[in-house]
Amino acid sequence: MAASQRYDAIVIGGGHNGLVHAAYLARAGKKVLVLERRPRVGGAAVTEEVFPGFKFSMFSYVVSLLRPEIIRDLELPRHGLHILPLESTVTPMENGDYLAAWGDHDETRRELCRHSPRDAEAYDEYSQLMHHMARAVKPILGMVPPDPTSLSPKDLFALMRLGRHFRGLGGERFHALVKLMTMSSADLLDEWFETDVLKATKAASGIIGTFLGPRSPGTAYVLLHHYMGELDGVFRAWGFAKGGTGSVSEAIAAAARGFGAEIRCDATVARVLVTGGRATGVALANGDELRASIVVSSLDPRRTFLELLEERELPTEFVADIRRFKFRGSSGKVNLALDALPSFTCMPGVGRHHRGAISISPSLAYVERAYDDAKYGEFSRRPYMDIVFPSMIDSGMAPPGKHVMSIFVQYAPYQLNGGWSDAKREAFGDAVLDTVEQFAPGFKSLILHRQVLTPADIERITGLSEGNIFQGELALHQLFFLRPAPGWAKFRTPVRGFYQCGSGTHPGGGIMGASGRLAALAVLGAGA
Amino acid sequence: MTKSGTWDAIVIGAGVNGLVAAHYLARAGRRVLVVERQLDARTSLETGWVPPQLVRELGLDRHGLRVEQPDPWIAAPLGGGGRLELRRDIGQSVDAIRRISRADAAKWPEFCTRMRRLAGVLEALYVQPPPDVETRQVGELLRLAALGLRVRRLGKQAVIDLLRILPMSVAELLDDWFESDALKGVLGAGGVWHLRQGPRSAGTAFNLLHHHVGSPAGLFRPPRSNIMQVLAGLPGVEVRRGAEATAVLAKHGRATSVLLRNEEVFAPLVVSSGDPRSALRHVGTDLDPEFVRALNNIKCRGVVARGTLTLERPADFGTLCVAPSLEYLERAYDDAKYGRDSARPYVEAQSVDGRVEVHVQYVPFTGQDRSGEQNSVLRERIGATLGADASQVSLETPADWDRLYDLTEGHLYHGELTLDQILFMRPLAGWSRYRTPLEGLYLCGAGTHPGGGIAGAAGRNAARVILQET
Repeated sequence: MAASQRYDAIVIGGGHNGLVHAAYLARAGKKVLVLERRPRVGGAAVTEEVFPGFKFSMFSYVVSLLRPEIIRDLELPRHGLHILPLESTVTPMENGDYLAAWGDHDETRRELCRHSPRDAEAYDEYSQLMHHMARAVKPILGMVPPDPTSLSPKDLFALMRLGRHFRGLGGERFHALVKLMTMSSADLLDEWFETDVLKATKAASGIIGTFLGPRSPGTAYVLLHHYMGELDGVFRAWGFAKGGTGSVSEAIAAAARGFGAEIRCDATVARVLVTGGRATGVALANGDELRASIVVSSLDPRRTFLELLEERELPTEFVADIRRFKFRGSSGKVNLALDALPSFTCMPGVGRHHRGAISISPSLAYVERAYDDAKYGEFSRRPYMDIVFPSMIDSGMAPPGKHVMSIFVQYAPYQLNGGWSDAKREAFGDAVLDTVEQFAPGFKSLILHRQVLTPADIERITGLSEGNIFQGELALHQLFFLRPAPGWAKFRTPVRGFYQCGSGTHPGGGIMGASGRLAALAVLGAGA
Repeated sequence: MTKSGTWDAIVIGAGVNGLVAAHYLARAGRRVLVVERQLDARTSLETGWVPPQLVRELGLDRHGLRVEQPDPWIAAPLGGGGRLELRRDIGQSVDAIRRISRADAAKWPEFCTRMRRLAGVLEALYVQPPPDVETRQVGELLRLAALGLRVRRLGKQAVIDLLRILPMSVAELLDDWFESDALKGVLGAGGVWHLRQGPRSAGTAFNLLHHHVGSPAGLFRPPRSNIMQVLAGLPGVEVRRGAEATAVLAKHGRATSVLLRNEEVFAPLVVSSGDPRSALRHVGTDLDPEFVRALNNIKCRGVVARGTLTLERPADFGTLCVAPSLEYLERAYDDAKYGRDSARPYVEAQSVDGRVEVHVQYVPFTGQDRSGEQNSVLRERIGATLGADASQVSLETPADWDRLYDLTEGHLYHGELTLDQILFMRPLAGWSRYRTPLEGLYLCGAGTHPGGGIAGAAGRNAARVILQET
């Protein structure tokens, strides 16, 4: 084999974490190769022209959590990253009214006041607390999790530092944090507010990507995510990438290439080559073998350990832990090409609300019932939806005068009774469109094309196991030093020279890139 | 109104925790009066672990304490006829489980050992005040370190189990281990006891362990004891029955007396075993509004009804559990989520001296009075679940307890044992050491650490703190 084909590191998977990881390694002077199975980089952060002239952020569609240090270190704006703000959220109610949150604080307050002066009062206090909590959690996102079962001085020291961090918060905030980590979003919001539609809209953000309902403990924590993006001051709470989320991936890829990394698409890795308990390279599906000092997988833990490796190369207990790791994808996506913008009963005509998000979450019971369906293996007959019109923010997404509409839908369980089929997919799509129609009569007649993606489709296209958008559920027992398995949360694996850097490792979730970056620091720190 | 006697301490409520606290105070030389609204002493058996420290220190065994757990400890009807009977003896349980699943039978012994180890950690935590994680005091830090060390000594697996399992849902825990619906139903039911949660809710695995404390490996229901009777017969404190405390009065921010219906009794120390929300509802001073807000946010949404029925023939079971699967429990919970009684409730029946006592879940507190119609529908559902005539069953529901006994929202544990309401968060963050904002007023009931389903631990912990501080 030619010497030129020997790499310092091979990164499996060109999703945003794989790319971030590769960029950091290349930036440190390593000779890096990224292998992507699909014809384009991005994984679940891709922009595709699904129908001629209509471009879609096919899966992931908003950016809010991309770590500012990554944007800085990789100089992403220079490589084409441009985030456009998404300023409002409007929730249509079943009685024809609505609840709106606008970019302008005073306006939002007046709107809340219309529903409940008490809630308007509480809202500021609540936001302030959430800001503090987000600040308290943030350092953890940038930290390699210590191993609480290890007795090594390094781990004990890290644990002590963590303990000091929490104690430093002071009693009140520490207690608030414990509540956030353990409560259901509905219970937490019940403590603050009385307006049902407000609680429902807030709670809905706590269930995204989970197989939980607003009344399930553990959902309160996800409420924080909305406040973390805002905290960084780089962009607002939620934003669009100009050109769709694919352009985020493209910018990271450009940065990686700029540092000298090589990115190869249409290259499917069949397995990781292991000799004497050490990773030595990868074998591609076409039979080629590539050698490298280290191999890093950005795929989810199930694919990383149960498909790329032979079971005998791993400890039995570890394999059992990975098998136990829960994926249960619960969300689907409907992408529509529209002839014109729909008119909502609560805000007739075209307005600035089309430039923000429309949340279909009219009441807590509505969202909870949507979960009840999924719990017993059916898609929600009346689902929770987060709707955006990317063409209103970035006109390049659709032909002039036409529009694209992105509908994030929950719940659509991966494990559907009887399994997913073409007929079930279309029935699911119909349920989504019928529900939108109730809030925007006449909407269905505007549809030119529709693309319905179930968790089974997400799995088939992106490779994400069970279509879980976070590479594994963000549940308390799958976070931090338990992600993806106890004892293996520091990006290393039981196979020497083989690392993991996907969203299935700490901290996971969203287009954050933190896993890819932390893993790179771990790899570089290990002297690889 | 008469003004009468002065005491060193007045304990409100002659339940297990109230009496335990009173006896500890009395033994330290305090003159203690216990006031209890009920006229007659309750003699029914108490459910819950009686910590050995309590037995020893109060000499309960010498005074006739009997602790019992039926064997088999549970019988669950099987879909195809017959019953799954689980026994104290792990080998016999393995034989019984093997008839429904060989795989589950093989895993039973290890499951029991692992859970028992975790219950042991909880036991250690329960017989002392909750760990104060914010402390800067050397003594408390040492106590924390000792706890940490104790857990570490159990080995790596135990540490991982503790971190992983405590925040889990009982459904996920059981799905990890077992395949049999009947077995998972029996264990899952223990995970939702007194919670307005279903088995898929995070934190229910902890609730299963909470109810495992004090039991040997392989036995997942708390023991029952005659501790009420024993405490009632113990000399050393004066118990005044039929005396309802209507308010705690204060002067200059200090508790001074307890107002009874037509009498005022004085003491510089008042200890209430009532639930925190009702205990602090009637204090004769203004409390900090932030504190009151937090207090009113304590979740104590009652979901359990109890009843007694008399059978024509003696029951052929010790404890019968009707929760045939996790899904059955989850669906029963779904009704409660929207404020309705479960259409098909989880029912657990215990036979006691020719009677059968039933625990019915979910019968949620809704804030409204229940109609006779609602109760007769509930009786029918209990009868249908048990396959017996339950039309004559006497029923007590959360609405009854709330109205008759001032038990907030009828929650028998004085506050749900969810992860945000245990340890240093019980009853309220920052107030877990039995103290209240009113100096001289302490709490000692199930609403404090370690909570309901443990006989007397809260009372003992509270008394020990009080003796240190006053």
